[in-house]
Amino acid sequence: MLIFAISDKGGTGRSVTSTNIVYRHALQGNDVCYLDFDFGSPTAGAIFSVSSVARGTKTGGLHEYLRGDCAEPRRIDIWSESDREGLRIKPPGAGRLVLLPGTEGGGELATVDEEMISRCVQLFSRLEEEFDLCMVDVSAGRSFTAEMVLKATVRLPAIPFRWLVFHRWTRQHIIAADGLVTGADGLLDVGARVGHDADMLRDRIRFVRTAVLEPDAAELVGLRDEQRAWLSACDNDLRELARRHKVGRTAMLGKIPLDPVLQWREQLISDEDVLASKIANAETTAAFDDLAKKIVDDSAWEGL
Amino acid sequence: MLVMGEVHTGLLQNSGEIPESSARDVLRLLAGETVRVSRRPIAYAVSPDRLTGVDCRLPAASQSRVRGVGTVVSRSSITGGRVVQGSSYAHVQRSGSDRRLAWSHYLARPGVIEVFGKARAEDLADGFTEDPPADCLDLGAISARFMDTVQASPLLDRRAPFKIARARLRWVARTGEPAIRLTLHSDQVRTLRIVHEGEFTPAVADLCEDLALHDWLLTALLVIIERARVGGRPGPEAAAKLAPAVDHLLHLWMPAARVDDALAPFWESLDRRPGFTRQWQSLVDRVRDQVAVNTLALLSATADAGRRRQ
Repeated sequence: MLIFAISDKGGTGRSVTSTNIVYRHALQGNDVCYLDFDFGSPTAGAIFSVSSVARGTKTGGLHEYLRGDCAEPRRIDIWSESDREGLRIKPPGAGRLVLLPGTEGGGELATVDEEMISRCVQLFSRLEEEFDLCMVDVSAGRSFTAEMVLKATVRLPAIPFRWLVFHRWTRQHIIAADGLVTGADGLLDVGARVGHDADMLRDRIRFVRTAVLEPDAAELVGLRDEQRAWLSACDNDLRELARRHKVGRTAMLGKIPLDPVLQWREQLISDEDVLASKIANAETTAAFDDLAKKIVDDSAWEGL
Repeated sequence: MLVMGEVHTGLLQNSGEIPESSARDVLRLLAGETVRVSRRPIAYAVSPDRLTGVDCRLPAASQSRVRGVGTVVSRSSITGGRVVQGSSYAHVQRSGSDRRLAWSHYLARPGVIEVFGKARAEDLADGFTEDPPADCLDLGAISARFMDTVQASPLLDRRAPFKIARARLRWVARTGEPAIRLTLHSDQVRTLRIVHEGEFTPAVADLCEDLALHDWLLTALLVIIERARVGGRPGPEAAAKLAPAVDHLLHLWMPAARVDDALAPFWESLDRRPGFTRQWQSLVDRVRDQVAVNTLALLSATADAGRRRQ
């Protein structure tokens, strides 16, 4: 299965959330790979703590592959190449966890030609043979990259794919997330233009809320009653707004609570971070675990 | 001088094995010519040979610049209606000329790459079997494409019963005192060096394909057993994870099925050490024992439940 991760704006936590989801999915016993298609800033290496490709790789990056400059993109086995000691041992029962890094200094795609699309089709189809799940980080906003993967998936009718749209829980982000899906040149618009069935495509798109601060969260205990009431009212307004923009609960696959570790240092959250060093919250890993199951759970993807 | 080749092996992207007639159709896509099929001792279908013209640098361990011009022979095959292979090789020979000739010259010598200037066979063999640099002749890329063509066939449903990586076997063959050495590198890469008596014949390439096939089968079975985590989870779950091996792999082991008699000793020597068939047999026994133990447990649970009802 191919999962495309996209967000309306930058800074939504798309990359850090999608990497944590694939990490959890691997821990659940599946073979997974992560494709850094965020060509403008390929930083997935940093999140997986592989310092040699922290800002993309110098040779064999995905950008080079799509341009036809190398026959096969470079692969990095996280269980053996991560600098984080806690990640370097593959836990018993875990599947493969492989990163295909972007090219250092590659830059956003300036155009999409036929050759690139067929290379993209070939890449997806080869990876599908060996991985249970391929997470493709498609960068923020409308881009040639999004157009390319939409075109590629039209040519791979037998390979299941899904889209995750990441957004923060604010007015602007809710409106923008809706726009990215339904607006002019949005996913549905471009998708239909390149040959997808708009209704079927819509059923394959779900929203993920990031950095969510629940009104009853433990962090808010010290707040004054007035502040709490105000937050609660805001939250209700946002819910109403989300419902009107069809970004509400039914179209939502999951939400990730606000966690200082994700805000201050984008990284994978291991069980050790929760249980031993206690720098991360158990709710955060639970949310990742839940999403890692739901992305492949058909009942969470029934028609809206 | 030497022959270099690369074979890629993987699982056919279809829910079940495909019958001979479908295999013919899938492989015919490559050309208008006929697909060769043999049925004993295992179904095997192979596409006609195709040529790819090359004019590029050859990998040399010494990093010296060796230019080669000529053609690479490639083909795709399906074994047991289940396993796909893409295979390419080229015979590297010294050119009689010091500049590139007309393509008609190279086309008259299918599967021959002529090199200019000074090139040592040992240097090229080392360069090719150690990871060849990106700007050199890449037989793997050609073989991968021949596999892709099969996997992308509209006749396949793409619902393969399990996920498994392709394996690549890079080989070099030379003439001399017979010897064979197979080396496992990363999870997916193997190299094979063969020294055979007499002139090179396509039978050597057949042998390499047969070894690649069996090496992949062994690797795939190991992966499935590892994923089943026998002992680490309840018996029925482990047995269910082993089921794809029983359904799709166990019957495919047919060592040296298509290997020329003259080359059979090579297979036999690898079967003695590292002992392909021994390892395969012990894994097969393990899978069958697990399934049997689990069946017994289920039977006894059913009998207990029956007694309680009475």
